[in-house]
Amino acid sequence: MFSTSSQRKFWTFSDENELARHREKHNLNFISKHGQHIDEYQRYNFFLSPEEERLLLRQYELHLKEFCKRFSPPMPKGVTGTAFHYFKRFYLYNSSMDYHPKEILATCVYLACKVEEFNVSIGQFVANIKGDRDKASDIILNNELLLMQQLNYHLTIHNPFRPVEGFLIDIKTRCNLANPERLRTGIDEFLEKVFLTDACLLYAPSQIALAAVLHAASKEQENLDSYVTDMLFRDAGPDKLAILIEAVRKIRSMVKMVESPARERVRVIEKKLDRCRNQENNPDSEIYKRRVREALDEDDIPHSGASRMSLDTSGVSQMLSPSAS
Amino acid sequence: MDRDVANYSVEGRIGEGAHGLVFKARHIPTGREVALKKILIKNLEDGIPINVMREIKALQLLRCKYGYEFGLSTGVYVLRFMGDVASQPTGTNNSARKNILTDVAQRDADLKPANLLINHEGILKIADLGLARLYWPDGGRPYSHQVATRWYRAPELLYGARFYSEKIDLWSVGCIIAEMITKKPLFAGESDIEQLAIVLQHLGTPTEETWPGHSKLPDYHKITFPDSTPTPWSDLLPGVESEAIDLIKSFVLYNADRRISAKEALRHPWFHSRPPPAAIDDMPKPNINKPK
Repeated sequence: MFSTSSQRKFWTFSDENELARHREKHNLNFISKHGQHIDEYQRYNFFLSPEEERLLLRQYELHLKEFCKRFSPPMPKGVTGTAFHYFKRFYLYNSSMDYHPKEILATCVYLACKVEEFNVSIGQFVANIKGDRDKASDIILNNELLLMQQLNYHLTIHNPFRPVEGFLIDIKTRCNLANPERLRTGIDEFLEKVFLTDACLLYAPSQIALAAVLHAASKEQENLDSYVTDMLFRDAGPDKLAILIEAVRKIRSMVKMVESPARERVRVIEKKLDRCRNQENNPDSEIYKRRVREALDEDDIPHSGASRMSLDTSGVSQMLSPSAS
Repeated sequence: MDRDVANYSVEGRIGEGAHGLVFKARHIPTGREVALKKILIKNLEDGIPINVMREIKALQLLRCKYGYEFGLSTGVYVLRFMGDVASQPTGTNNSARKNILTDVAQRDADLKPANLLINHEGILKIADLGLARLYWPDGGRPYSHQVATRWYRAPELLYGARFYSEKIDLWSVGCIIAEMITKKPLFAGESDIEQLAIVLQHLGTPTEETWPGHSKLPDYHKITFPDSTPTPWSDLLPGVESEAIDLIKSFVLYNADRRISAKEALRHPWFHSRPPPAAIDDMPKPNINKPK
């Protein structure tokens, strides 16, 4: 149930400013950790600004959408929705300079497949990725536990798809709207775009679903206002209705504002990122490869009998080093 | 919940299951007892196994009044320490048994006595949700048939059924009740095939009437067993009172649709005959200081 969920308790924020504060904080943290040697006024010439990080992540959200859409075998909508939630949550508390979005993107989708019980093997999964597939599967499996940790192990996601079905059933039963099924195209388009906004970090899935239904109705020149006021909120009181109306208005305006980042700007940001990213987390860097080698060497030390009782996390570090298996 | 493993001192090993090792530990700053579960990740091929995801989701969902406290640090769950494993309640009195069973009848998981835990307040918890899955009432999605520990596994699972329902747990509940009363497992097969053989031998060769659709199960034609007639329940469970037998045989039925539901079972005369189920305060408490 959403009302008692970790999603509501830990991952639904009060407003966009709160989101911006979290993101800026992790941008600043990264820069102060890695930019001591650079003059304070020059830092953004080298590092990404919070605004550049936003733009970059928006671009990767578009990639995420396309990746899920083209995925073979076809992916249920819930998997895509869950992957979007994970991606957004991850970058609320991490900078894209620390963890490259292309790597986290794939890991989010892979984890979402598992959590949503859409069973694909890692082999099947990376068959959807262009380029070096062995490398891709190493990166994904290496990042899986990191991602789970960053999500605080809150894996259950409440997506708007179920409430949409509920509203459609309810409308068919209680409204005299002709052929409610024709709303589906509009709803699907809306929900596809809604994941390119921050709405799912700010509003309940049922509010997002209702915004989608109302949007689709108005596209069909229909008006469901009286369904909302006289049926859904008849006994709820005017203050609750006002909150809902404001939420729906806000979600619809967020969707309306969605636009793709300018290609040229993203290209510049990507180039900048290649230079300023944390090389310790870059699988192509020398420092990363050396660490993996060191971790492997450590594993070779035989365990003494006494360590059986200890809670060493050797199983975990084994998993973190890709070639250990 | 403290996620730092360094803040816990391990005091002993409680158990070892298919999914990991469970340790008894103390949270050093507060002195509180917890259980730590270390997940075993056996199949590295596809990363973290899906049953781990299921267990995490189920535990978080169950974080209610008598649920688990839950936290995680790399690969280790922290669970509230539950005291002793309740396979010991097989030795406790009849009225405590009834209290335990009223509880069991209301949940589901990999049901077997070793997964029923009683904490030192006498409260029952069901452990090991690694096999707990979301239940889809439309029956449209296939599940793995390698679920439920063999002795408590319903016959449709033994025949490889992929579409089953919560009714498999009702079979397990019947087996558990029988075991708690007689202190020995009802059907103790050494292998899946022997398990099926024992069930068939005691309940008799299934017919289209006692078990509609059984011949269509995936593994039905892979093996045949000698024809047998049902053993009377009074021979299977000698010395057991008739009301208890009546309840057990309402659970242990070939036809899953005819198994008594948990709700109905709670209205069964056995729960209302003397002695009545024990009140929570009267439950025998496991002695947690007793060395195992």
